[in-house]
Amino acid sequence: MGSLRLDEVQALLVGAVMHPAQLDADAAPPASALLRPSARGMTRASRLEVYREQFWIRHLASLTEDFSTLRWVVGERAFDELLRGYLQAYPPRGWNLQRLGADVPEFVASSAPWSADPLAGDAALLDWAFMEVFDAPDAPPLDLRVVAAAPPDAWPQARIAFLPALRRVVTGHAVHELRAAVKKGEECQRPLAAPTHAVVWRDAACFLHAVAVDPVAGELMRALLDGTRLGEACASVAAAHPAVDAETFDANVGQWFQQWTANGWVCAVDI
Amino acid sequence: MGYRQRHAIPDLGVGVGLRTPHVAHVLRDGPPMDWFEIISENYFADGGIQRANLERAAAAYRLIPHGVSLSIGGTDPIDPGYLARLRALVSRVRAPWCSDHLCWTGSGKVDVHDLLPLPYNPETLSHVIDRVRRVQDELQVPFALENASSYMEFEASTMPEHEFLAELSERADCGILLDVNNVFVSAYNHGFDAEAYVDAIPADRVLQIHLAGHTHKGLYLLDTHSDHVRPEVLDLYRRALRRCGSVSTLVEWDESIPSWDVLSGEAAVARSVRDEVLGATSKEAAWGASA
Repeated sequence: MGSLRLDEVQALLVGAVMHPAQLDADAAPPASALLRPSARGMTRASRLEVYREQFWIRHLASLTEDFSTLRWVVGERAFDELLRGYLQAYPPRGWNLQRLGADVPEFVASSAPWSADPLAGDAALLDWAFMEVFDAPDAPPLDLRVVAAAPPDAWPQARIAFLPALRRVVTGHAVHELRAAVKKGEECQRPLAAPTHAVVWRDAACFLHAVAVDPVAGELMRALLDGTRLGEACASVAAAHPAVDAETFDANVGQWFQQWTANGWVCAVDI
Repeated sequence: MGYRQRHAIPDLGVGVGLRTPHVAHVLRDGPPMDWFEIISENYFADGGIQRANLERAAAAYRLIPHGVSLSIGGTDPIDPGYLARLRALVSRVRAPWCSDHLCWTGSGKVDVHDLLPLPYNPETLSHVIDRVRRVQDELQVPFALENASSYMEFEASTMPEHEFLAELSERADCGILLDVNNVFVSAYNHGFDAEAYVDAIPADRVLQIHLAGHTHKGLYLLDTHSDHVRPEVLDLYRRALRRCGSVSTLVEWDESIPSWDVLSGEAAVARSVRDEVLGATSKEAAWGASA
C-alpha cells in the first residue's frame, strides 16, 4: 500500500468513508491498511469508522432538513432507508450541500419501492423546488413603466421573464398544502389525488411560498418560462383548450398577468 | 519582515462564528463583537436570505470568510467556479484575508464534506504547495490554512503535521490559522505533544487563532464545537499568544449552539486571556501599527 499515489489513496478512503455498514476489525476495508493504529488502542478500522459515521450523520441530517414533506409521506423509518439508498445511488458531488438532494425526485420516481407511491414523488418534487428557490439568484423588480409604455400591438412579441427564484411544479396531489401543514406541525392526512399546478417562489423579503394556479395559466407559464413569445404561447395554449372561447381566454390572460405581477413573479418584459 | 507585517494583517480582537440562530439578533440589535467569521460556502449563492444578511452584516461588522470545501490537499482539479465565488465573496465583504483547512474533502468528483487528513511526506507537500500558490494567485488576498482535527494517521507519513504545515507555509508563502483546540484534539488522538506543536509553528505566519470545545468519546476526542473551550485548550491558547503576539482570535460553536449571551461570554473569556497575556491595549496597538 505504501507505493500508492495520493489520488489512489484518496479514492480508497472515500470508498471506506461512504461504506453503508459499520467498519470494525472484522470488516476492515482495504483502506485501513493505509493507516496506523492509534496509541490509545483504536484499530485502523475504528479510526476510519469515525469518518464513516460522520459522513452518514452529516448527509442524512442535511437531507432530512431539506425533504420534510417526503419524510412525512414515507414515514420516519422508511425515510432513513430511502436516504441511505439515495446517497449510495447518488454520492455527494461538489462542494454545495444545498445541492445534495438534487436527484432525490429522480431517485424516488425511479426506485422501488418509493416509485410505487405517487404522493412520495410529488413530495420530493415540491421539497426540491423549495430548495432551489431558497438561494436562486436575486432579480430586480419589474419596471412597471416598461409595461405601461408598451403599445398594445407589441405584446404578442413580448417575452416574459419570471423570477429566477420561481419554480412551477406539476403534481398529482395538492402537496403544497400538505407541506404547509407539515411545516406547522399540524395533524396531517394523506391528500387525495388532485392534479395541481403549483408555483413555488421566494418573495422580495426572502420568504418562500407555494400556491396553486389555474392549470391553463400553469401551461401558459411553462411556455413563457421556455422563452416562447407571448402571442405564440397564448395561441398554442388556447389551441389545446378549444372549449374556452377566445374572448374568455384573452380576459383570463389579462387577469393572470395582473396576478403574476402582483405576486412579484414577473421580473422583466422584453418588448 | 514577517508575513503578518508584510501583508499588514490587522489584529481584529476576539470574534465568534456567525451562525443562523444568532443572525436575527446580530442584524437587529447590533451587539458588540469585535468581528465575525463566516463559513464561505454559505454565502456563495447569488441570491436569497443568506446573501441579504451578508450585505447587512458586512455593513456593520468586519467579516472574515472561512471555507470548508476548497480541498487544498485533494487530487481532483481545483474547481474554478468555487474559486471565483470565493474571490467574489472576499471582495464583497472587503476581507483582509480568508482561510480554509489543510485537508482534502473528496476524490473522483465525490465530496464527502469532511476535513480528511493527508499523508505528511515530501510528495504530498509538493502537491499542496503547488495548489496553494494557484489559489493565492486567484484570490489576491492573504490566504491561511488551518490545522484540522484528525482521527487517523497514515503509514506513509514521514514528518509530523507541524513540520508539514510550517514548511508548507514557508514554501507556498501562505498564512496559518492555528486552531489550538484542533492541536489539542489531534495531540490526544495521535499521542504527540501539543505544546511542542505550538512551539514549532512559525509565529509570524499565524494570522488567526481558533478556539472551540470538543467532546470526549473514550478512545478519542471529537472536534464537535459543541461546548465551552476547555481550560487545557485555554492554556495552549496562552502559549500560542506568547509566541504569536497580537493575533485575531475566533471562538467557534457549531453544535448545540447556545444563546448569544453564552456565546459572547465565551468570547469574553478568550478576551480576558488575551488581555492577561498581551495587555489590555493589544488590539488597538495592532490596529495603529497596521494603519
